[in-house]
Amino acid sequence: MISTGTRSKIEAEMERYPQKRGALLPALYLVQAEHGYVSSDTVRELAEIMGLHPVEVMEVVTFYNLFFDRPQPRHHASVCTNLPCSLRGARVLLAQLEEHVGSKVGEPTDDGRLVLGHEECLGACAFAPMMRVDDAYHEDLDLEHAKSILDALE
Amino acid sequence: MPTLTVDGRVIETAEGKSILEALDDAGLLMNGVDVPHYCWHPKLSVDGSCRLCQVEVEGFPKLQIACNTVVQDGMVVNTTSDRVRKAREGVVELLLINHPLDCPICDQAGECKLQDYAFDYGVEKSRTREPRRAAKKRVDLGPTIVFDQERCILCRRCVRFCDEVPKTRELAVFGRGDRSVIETFPGMELDNPYSMNVADICPVGALTTKDFRFKIRVWFLEDVEGLCTGCANGCNIYLGIANNKVYRYQPRRNDDVNETWMCDAGRLSYRDIGAPDRLQYAYVRDATGSLEAAGYEAAIGAAARRLRAIIGSKGAGVIAGVASAHATNEDLFTFRRFIEALGTETSGVAVPKGDADDLLIKAEKAANAAGARALGLGDASLVADRIRSGGIDALVCLGSDFLGTGLLANVEELAGLDTVIVLDTHKSEFSRVAHVILPTRHAAEKHGTLTNAAGRVQRLRAAVEPAYEAHPDGAVLSHLGKALGLPGFDGSYDVRAVSKALAESEPAFSGIHLDSVGDRGRVLIDPDASQRDREPEGPNL
Ligand code: SF4
Ligand code: SF4
Ligand code: FES
Repeated sequence: MISTGTRSKIEAEMERYPQKRGALLPALYLVQAEHGYVSSDTVRELAEIMGLHPVEVMEVVTFYNLFFDRPQPRHHASVCTNLPCSLRGARVLLAQLEEHVGSKVGEPTDDGRLVLGHEECLGACAFAPMMRVDDAYHEDLDLEHAKSILDALE
Repeated sequence: MPTLTVDGRVIETAEGKSILEALDDAGLLMNGVDVPHYCWHPKLSVDGSCRLCQVEVEGFPKLQIACNTVVQDGMVVNTTSDRVRKAREGVVELLLINHPLDCPICDQAGECKLQDYAFDYGVEKSRTREPRRAAKKRVDLGPTIVFDQERCILCRRCVRFCDEVPKTRELAVFGRGDRSVIETFPGMELDNPYSMNVADICPVGALTTKDFRFKIRVWFLEDVEGLCTGCANGCNIYLGIANNKVYRYQPRRNDDVNETWMCDAGRLSYRDIGAPDRLQYAYVRDATGSLEAAGYEAAIGAAARRLRAIIGSKGAGVIAGVASAHATNEDLFTFRRFIEALGTETSGVAVPKGDADDLLIKAEKAANAAGARALGLGDASLVADRIRSGGIDALVCLGSDFLGTGLLANVEELAGLDTVIVLDTHKSEFSRVAHVILPTRHAAEKHGTLTNAAGRVQRLRAAVEPAYEAHPDGAVLSHLGKALGLPGFDGSYDVRAVSKALAESEPAFSGIHLDSVGDRGRVLIDPDASQRDREPEGPNL
């Protein structure tokens, strides 16, 4: 269920666009912030609120990497593996982190705390290698620093 | 009007048309000018995603997609150059990288556009070693369609069809890039009255109908042009025939009638043709009151004896005739002559009714209700009324719709009649009260014409032969007329001659007969003219 608070935020977003569907991305962010992912029931609900067909909403959810259609671990840590980061050791770093947390890329840890990922360019090449943990960038990484960041996650 | 030149041919087209539309309108597309295409479909919006339709346009440095390039006056297009060929080869090669190539077990093989174009433009050797993309096989999309995600080339025709034609939006593209797949919304099914059209428009074997798949290899089928008789729309179809058996109906394009679509109920109605309850013999009620199978001649004789006895004692006025809106114009014209020759005033046509929509499906669930009206046949309610008021002793009924249209409370209302003669294709409730039942031909088994709801007279062809003795309704009436000694009935029934006689005698049909209606049919001069002319003669005839 989308809470009344989120619902009114979505409605406020809808006011800001000439076409209601323009607010779909901000609305999905709001919904995901509330539930951690966007279930198909939520998609139906959101479609209803926005006057869209559920399939239109689902197409957008599945198109973007940052929307999840199923429950997620508490944290996402993604190492950039594009060229500059790779030149600065990102791939090795990622492999070491896999070993450190005991789970491969894309496979959540058993305690549901974390999932590792890799990312294409996040625009922080000058500070390679880097990783994104949830909404925060961590730059100029070395293994010890990266491990301590992950270990600090709840 | 803009004019363009394609491979040296000059084509005039309307403002705002794409190159492909211009070719299609001119009847040249894949019929003189080959521009292979996957995503473009004449009756759907433009997608521009498959890139197969690229052509060279003078003045443009790069190849342009013909489906989404609007014709400018004086445009010069080349579809045969090496550059174009290379582009097509590139597109086909990319599509084949991930295609499962399971043609031997794919039901589309033989009518697959990927097979065809791989044959025309495929490169000989695969240049990739990576494993092919694995995806879902045999996905059950709903009551009618099975989906193979691996075979899908993501042309989005099926998605656009559901969005734009039935407007039900069941299908969508989920995911992105090389992970895109066609799916339904979780828990939703592809289920609408037109769903099976997606199998026709899918260029590959990704979408197949549960009904037809694995029944027969398509290269054994012969396509015969015909008409659906499921309702008054008269959708144009191909009947897929092999070994004198109909395996499927598929829509045949007629922009004046059904564009390129047909409804699922109509498509599946081919099953009626070979149904187990087809009437394979004539039946006659014997002296003990039981209905027994009989030879055709004997049954005609029995029917004639009964009718003659009634005419002898009470006159022909106590005989009623009910025509079927499933019968052809030629059958109905013969019916009318039969009634006139008999000299009774009580006749009409029974038209079954059902649901309609604003796409194709019409409320009148028979193919020739409009033809019956144009021939001046009134509603069979008159017959029902007179039977109820006791003025009728005998009934000659074409088809069983008279029972199903609600005109009679039940078949027992006919139990009191002295004689009930039924001409029909299938067994029905009539077997409880009929004295003589004569087997007739299904629409797929006879030649003739049908008039659809819009007054368009269209050609019907005999695609298969019944395996037993059955004649068109008109022929049976002709045999019966001869047995009764009716004037003008000599027992012959030449449908072509009847069609021409009809065209000569009916002003509305003037010049419109079986040989003149062509592939797309012709509209009645004035659908009501015949009716008006005949009005002074009484409400029915
Ligand atoms: S299923 Fe067929 S029609 Fe639909 S996108 Fe795939 S190839 Fe095209
Ligand atoms: S709309 Fe009517 S004529 Fe057309 S396919 Fe359906 S039943 Fe047949
Ligand atoms: S037909 Fe033109 S891009 Fe597909």
